[in-house]
Amino acid sequence: MQAPNKEHLYKLLVIGDLGVGKTSIIKRYVHQNFSSHYRATIGVDFALKVLHWDPETVVRLQLWDIAGQERFGNMTRVYYREAMGAFIVFDVTRPATFEAVTKWKNDLDSKLSLPNGKPVSVVLLANKCDQGKDMLMNNGLKMDQFCKEHGFVGWFETSAKENINIDEASRCLVKHILANECDLMESIEPDIVKPHLTSPKVVSCSGCTKS
Amino acid sequence: MADGLPTEFDVVIIGTGLPESILAAACSRSGQRVLHIDSRSYYGGNWASFTFSGLLSWLKEYQQNSDIGDKSTATWQDLIHETEEAITLHRKDETIQHTEVFCYVRQDMDDNIEEIDDLQKNPSLVTSGTLSKLLDSACLSEEMHSLYGTSHGISAKEIPKNDGEILLEVTGIEESQVKEKYYGDKTCIHTFADGDKDENKPIVEDNTDLPKRNRITYSQLVKEGRKFNIDLVSKLLYSQGLLIDLLIKSNVSRYAEFKNVTRILTFREGKVEQVPCSRADVFNNKELTMVEKRMLMKFLTFCLDYEQHPDEYQDFTQCSFSEYLKTKKLTPNLQHFVLHSIAMTESSCTTIDGLKATKNFLQCLGRFGNTPFLFPLYGQGEIPQCFCRMCAVFGGIYCLRHKVQCLVVDKESGRCKAIIDHFGQRINAKYFIVEDSYLSEETCSNVQYKQISRAVLITDQSVLKTDSDQHISILIVPPAEPGMCAVRVTELCSSTMTCMKDTHLVHLTCSSSKTAREDLESVVKKLFTPYAETEIDREELTKPRLLWALYFNMRDSSGISRSSYSGLPSNVYVCSGPDCALGNEHAVKQAETLFQEIFPGEEFCPPPPNPEDIVFDGDDKQPEAPGTNNIIMAKLESSE
Repeated sequence: MQAPNKEHLYKLLVIGDLGVGKTSIIKRYVHQNFSSHYRATIGVDFALKVLHWDPETVVRLQLWDIAGQERFGNMTRVYYREAMGAFIVFDVTRPATFEAVTKWKNDLDSKLSLPNGKPVSVVLLANKCDQGKDMLMNNGLKMDQFCKEHGFVGWFETSAKENINIDEASRCLVKHILANECDLMESIEPDIVKPHLTSPKVVSCSGCTKS
Repeated sequence: MADGLPTEFDVVIIGTGLPESILAAACSRSGQRVLHIDSRSYYGGNWASFTFSGLLSWLKEYQQNSDIGDKSTATWQDLIHETEEAITLHRKDETIQHTEVFCYVRQDMDDNIEEIDDLQKNPSLVTSGTLSKLLDSACLSEEMHSLYGTSHGISAKEIPKNDGEILLEVTGIEESQVKEKYYGDKTCIHTFADGDKDENKPIVEDNTDLPKRNRITYSQLVKEGRKFNIDLVSKLLYSQGLLIDLLIKSNVSRYAEFKNVTRILTFREGKVEQVPCSRADVFNNKELTMVEKRMLMKFLTFCLDYEQHPDEYQDFTQCSFSEYLKTKKLTPNLQHFVLHSIAMTESSCTTIDGLKATKNFLQCLGRFGNTPFLFPLYGQGEIPQCFCRMCAVFGGIYCLRHKVQCLVVDKESGRCKAIIDHFGQRINAKYFIVEDSYLSEETCSNVQYKQISRAVLITDQSVLKTDSDQHISILIVPPAEPGMCAVRVTELCSSTMTCMKDTHLVHLTCSSSKTAREDLESVVKKLFTPYAETEIDREELTKPRLLWALYFNMRDSSGISRSSYSGLPSNVYVCSGPDCALGNEHAVKQAETLFQEIFPGEEFCPPPPNPEDIVFDGDDKQPEAPGTNNIIMAKLESSE
């Protein structure tokens, strides 16, 4: 087998109101399991999903949950920074969470854009469709219209519980990000210092007077 | 929006400045239930950074600072029991004074400019960033414009004409505009052809929406406002300093990226020069003679382990460092370099402190780059947010725009047991950490504050032009007269993500003796010339031009001892606002000291587990009907 020659690492945000199933979706997608109840994701910044996109391409996705506690909408810029795409999630059984979708989308677009100035790709997820199918069944056209008007690249009815459409939604988002990427390569900044635990390249001399 | 805020915590932290944010991360990391709140709509308090329009809104807030909320004084008095008393907190922020704004660039009235105001105001405050409002705040000190002979004061009465605009660059306009469409501002290459640089070419105003990057107008500053991240405090990280060590140790560094400061500059005899500080710099320097190079190297080598050679300085411990330098066979030139640019001390500092500072500087060289300093991409204001993210990831709860009316003290034990917020909600905790500016006048009646003088300038080019326009420089301008303070100048380029392309963002800082403008204006005049619409003098072109300037004073509450505050319960801890120093050592030390005081024996900010090692626990056994509102539960609810 040929070794993959292209690797991509993308930061994706998973946004939406409290209790719409953000963490469930991430968990289902990354860990292939579901639990109808679990605690906040203490100590977890993001979950990593590796996709073998095609024989030449590996895509690594960092899925950033809003730390549940930044729940009053006060996300730090650190959360948004350098994300390449997002899922905005609502709960089909709770109309209020759908009303919040535009708020989340506007908030996202005001805080984050691609280096080329365009908004990031966002896919809308109508989650918990196993519980509220009827709500959307007849509204497909309306949803298409809604996505067009608000700049979503697509929408999916999902269920983290029944594992419906989550892989599909993710593929849709990744496809859009890959399509944009040629633009983005232009903008990689040189000379950036990222100090880490594992990489203290302390030069043995003090740089100046000793050698 | 604060419905569902739990009412039981271990630690309540008020203020999101650097020390508070470090403490929040440390407490949350060690398993405490943390509520972190700020009355403002943004993170960082006086450590924040703003987009251009964000900064204008911030200014506006300080002008309207009169009336914050008698209406919200709810009825907290009724919530205090007989066995309790209340310590009221401050409703107004009085840490910023003497704000003055100068706008030197043309303001096109017919451009309809709007930029999203990311301050997310309360409905009662300014919500729009329309030109007229921006204009208002830009004209705060219009009377001051007359001080600058050549600048066109932009007053509300004076409507700028549309002709005769000055092109900053006249070459390659067509090309660069085309490129900009595709690549934004990152790859577009503007070339300065020397001969063309000062040409004056009037162009006809067309009313298309094409961005005209080649001359800078006020509307561009506003349109590109999101490219700015303007810090209220100007600091750098010493590459071997406490903050960088803490970032690395706690792995909060994964949220931040830095650039090396690339140049140390000095101002001497009216000229800006680069200070050689690495071995290579010294030997490549064309200004120094061979003898000077050798002297400098010899002296710096000695400084690196000066403790080993006490005989070299022992007789001078009572002298000032500048006196001491005179005895070291250094030319005046070199003495100036060492004193102001390497040790970065005031002339009055002692020999030992000067040697210590020099050694510290030299030790920081080479860890990440050729100078001892790092600057965070997107500005210093990122750093508190990085710690806040860490706190949130470990369960801390965040509420901005959340005012606290009072601390509730139990009369019998004398300990603080709760706060009452602006909704009249009582929130209980064991420990309370409060940033100094939230404390009332009564609490602070014995406190003597220092002040910091600050200027923020947007300029069109660097104070020292070289082949690259992407330098990050620090420049110490020595005091003009003895007894005054040296002024620290930090010049940031657009690749730091703090200013738009073709501009530089310049921060000036000194400890105050008068108002910020009085303290700093002379230095600004030495280094810059106002952007003028009229004839440009060739001589003047050697200086970068000022597009926009802001002066303000910030209160410095560092170095205030805990005992100066009257009537605070023992479980209420105070953090100070930013200090005047270049590094962040004070904030880190303060956070660590307070943390050890509150939780003796606990580890301060240990590294978190790698996210890839964390397994979601799939074994929750509690029976619960699916579909109930159960997805994200705060740690405090589930850890009972």
